[in-house]
Amino acid sequence: MTAAGNAAVLQRAVNLRLLGRLDDAERVLREALAESPGDPDLLGELGWVLYLAERPAEGLAAAEAAIAAAPGEAHFHQYRASLLSDLQRHDEAVQAAYTAASLRPEEPKIARTCARVLSRARRLPEAYQAARHAVALDPESSASHLLVADIADDLRDRATARRAYEEALRLDPQNAMARHDLAVLDVNTGHPMRGLRGLVEAGGIDPTMPIVLRTITVVLWKLSWRLRMLFIPATIACVVASGAEPGDATWSARVTAAASLLAIGLLIWWTVRDLPTATRPAVLAALRSDGPLRISYLGMAACVLLFLTVAGTGIGVFAGFVWLVLGMLGLLALVVGATRKVRGR
Amino acid sequence: MPDDTLLTSLLTAIDAAPDDVPLRLHVAGLLAERGRPAEALQHCSQALARDPGNAEALALLQRLTTAMAPPPQALHRPEPQRPGPQRPEPQRLQGFDWTQAEDDVAGIEEPVPAEDELPSPVVEDIEQPGVRLADVGGMQQVKERLELSFLGPMRNPQLAKAFGKSLSGGLLLYGPPGCGKTFIARAVAGELGASFFAVGISDVLDMYTGQSERNLARIFAEARRRAPCVLFFDELDALGQKRSHLAHSSSMRNTVNQLLSEMDSVTADNDGVFVLGATNHPWDIDSALRRPGRFDRMVLVLPPDAPARGAILGYHLRERPVAEVNLDRIVKLTEHFSGADLAHVCTTAAERALALSMRDGRLHALTTKDLEAAVREIRPSTGPWFATARNVVAFANTDGEYDDLSAYLRKNKKL
Repeated sequence: MTAAGNAAVLQRAVNLRLLGRLDDAERVLREALAESPGDPDLLGELGWVLYLAERPAEGLAAAEAAIAAAPGEAHFHQYRASLLSDLQRHDEAVQAAYTAASLRPEEPKIARTCARVLSRARRLPEAYQAARHAVALDPESSASHLLVADIADDLRDRATARRAYEEALRLDPQNAMARHDLAVLDVNTGHPMRGLRGLVEAGGIDPTMPIVLRTITVVLWKLSWRLRMLFIPATIACVVASGAEPGDATWSARVTAAASLLAIGLLIWWTVRDLPTATRPAVLAALRSDGPLRISYLGMAACVLLFLTVAGTGIGVFAGFVWLVLGMLGLLALVVGATRKVRGR
Repeated sequence: MPDDTLLTSLLTAIDAAPDDVPLRLHVAGLLAERGRPAEALQHCSQALARDPGNAEALALLQRLTTAMAPPPQALHRPEPQRPGPQRPEPQRLQGFDWTQAEDDVAGIEEPVPAEDELPSPVVEDIEQPGVRLADVGGMQQVKERLELSFLGPMRNPQLAKAFGKSLSGGLLLYGPPGCGKTFIARAVAGELGASFFAVGISDVLDMYTGQSERNLARIFAEARRRAPCVLFFDELDALGQKRSHLAHSSSMRNTVNQLLSEMDSVTADNDGVFVLGATNHPWDIDSALRRPGRFDRMVLVLPPDAPARGAILGYHLRERPVAEVNLDRIVKLTEHFSGADLAHVCTTAAERALALSMRDGRLHALTTKDLEAAVREIRPSTGPWFATARNVVAFANTDGEYDDLSAYLRKNKKL
C-alpha cells in the first residue's frame, strides 16, 4: 500500500477510535498492516486502540514494533508507557514515560501520561511534579487539573486537591470524573450528603460511568453506620425512662420514645433537605444493587417500628429489641466489609 | 328515535363518569355503527388516554382509522399536470431554418451537473424490503408502539393532521445489541411500501475534510429523489454522537451538524423521507438530534419475548436435523437472550450433535439435551447493556424518556 493509502487508513482508524468503534478500528488497522507490516504509524495506532480495548499485552507488542521502526517518535514511547503500566510493569513504564517526555518535553499529553504512570507506580511526589508540569504546559486543560487533584488527594493534600478539582470543573463543567472525584473527597472529609449530591450530579453528566453507583453504595453504607449510631443513645434513653420494670407500660417511656423518634426524624430531614430530586432514583438503584445494604436499611426501618411500638404502648422492653437489631446489623456490616476486602485483593 | 335516546343517555352517562373506559368504548362502537366515526374516534382516543394498553380500544382505533382514511391510491396519486401560463410565441427570424438548426444540435448530450455524476455512497444498498411487521415473531408491544407512534400517522396523514400530529421527524429504535432493530426497520419500510436505504458509518465517514458532510448530503438528496423511502441510520450513536464528546475532532462535529441540518424540515424538503435510526446507546446521541422534527420518537426493542424466541429458535433449527426438541423448555431457559444469542445457541447445539455424529459414524439429530447444554455454555450478551441501562435509568431519566426501559428493568428485577 502507498504512503497516502496508509495515511487514509490511519485517519479512518483514528475516526473510528474517536467514535468508540475499537473493533472496527482494529480491523481496519490489521487489514492495512497485512500489506504494510512495518508501518510505524499503523502499528502505534494499533497499540493505542488495543490499550483502549483493555488488551495491553497485544497492544504492547504493537507499540514495541512501532518503536523499533521509529525510535525517535515520542508518542510510541508514551503508548508503551501506558501499556506497561496497565500490565503492572511499573519500573519499565516509568522509564518509557521519561523517554517520551525527554523526546517531547513540551507536549502536555505526554506530561500527563508521565504523571499517571508515576502515580500508578506509587511514586507520588514525582507524579505530582509531572502533573504540575502538565498544568504549566496547558493551563486550560481540565484533564491536567484533574490529574493534579487526584495525585494531591493521594498525598492527603486535600486543600490542593479541592482547588484543583474545582478548577477542572470550572474549565469543563461536563467533566463527570472530576465531579465524581470531588464528591468522593467530600465524603472522605466528613460531608456525605454533599458527596451524595455531587455523585448524583456526576451520574447525570455521564450516566454510563459504573463507578458512580458503586460509590453511592459506599456512601449509603457510611450513612447507615451513622444512623445506627443515632439509635444507640435513643435506645439507652428509652430503657432508662422505662424504669425498673421495662415490661410495664409507662408514660415516661412513651414520651422518651416519641421524642427520640422526632429528634432522629428532624436530624435526617435536616441532613437530606438540600438533596436534588434525582437523588431518590439513584439511591433506590444503589439499594437494589446491594442486598446486604438493603437488609441494613430494612433493619433500621424495623428499629423505627420498635420505637413507634414503645411510643404507642409505653412498654420499654421493645426498645431492648432495638439493641438486638443494631447488634445484628453491626455484625452484618463487619462480615460484608471483611468479605469484600478479601474479594478485592 | 329510541336509538338516539339510548345514545344521548349514554353520552350523559359518560359526562358523569368520564373515566369509565368500557362505557366509552361501547359508545364509540355505537357512534361508529351510526356513521359518526369522527366522534367515535374522539371517544376511542380518550379511552386510550386512560388505558393505553386496552386491546379493544386499539382494535377499534385501527378500524376507525382505516374507515376514515382515504383509499391508499388516493394518497400518492400524482397531482394532475396543470397547463402553465400561456407564453407568447417567440418571434422567429425570418428566413432562418429552425428545423435544420435543431437537427444539427440533436446529437449533443445535455449537460449534467457535476455532482450528479458522483455515485451516491448508498445507491447500491437501496432495496425494496419484502418483510412486514407480521414477519417479526412476537414483540407485540413494539409493533403496537410502532403502529401508534409512527406507522398509523404515516398511513393516515389527514387524520394525523386533524389531531395536530406532525409527520416530520424520525423514529429511533434502541435496545441491547442483536435484538432485531435492523430487521424491524426493514419491516417498517415494508409496511410503508417504501425503498430502504441502510446507512452505516462507513458510508459517511471519510478522511478528507468536508467529504463526510458531503456524503451525508448526497445520501439525503438521493433519498429525496427516491421518495417514498426509509433512510435507516444504523449505529446512530456513531454518526450523531454528543458534540461535547467530539471536542478533538472538528470534522466529526461537522458531520453531526450536517445530519442536524439535513433532518431539519425547515432547511430541507423531506416529504416522503422517513428517517429511522438504531442505536445501542441512545444516551450517547447528541441531544439536538432528539428534538422535535428530528429523532423525536423512541421505541425500545428488547430481547425477544417468549413467542419471538420460539419463532427465532424454530427459524434457526429449520434446516438442521432435529428430533425430540422441547422448544417450550428451551424458550423458558433463554429469557433475556438476544436474537443473536439464540442463533449462537442453535449453532453450538448443532456443533455438539455434529461432533457426536462424527464420533459414532451415524447421524445424531439435535435434541433438547443438545440445546440445553448449549444454553448452559452461553451467557446472554445483553448483560453489560442492561448494567449500563440501569445506571442511565437511575441518573438520566429525569424527563421520563427512558420510562419504558425503567418499567422493563423493574419488571425483571434488574433495577
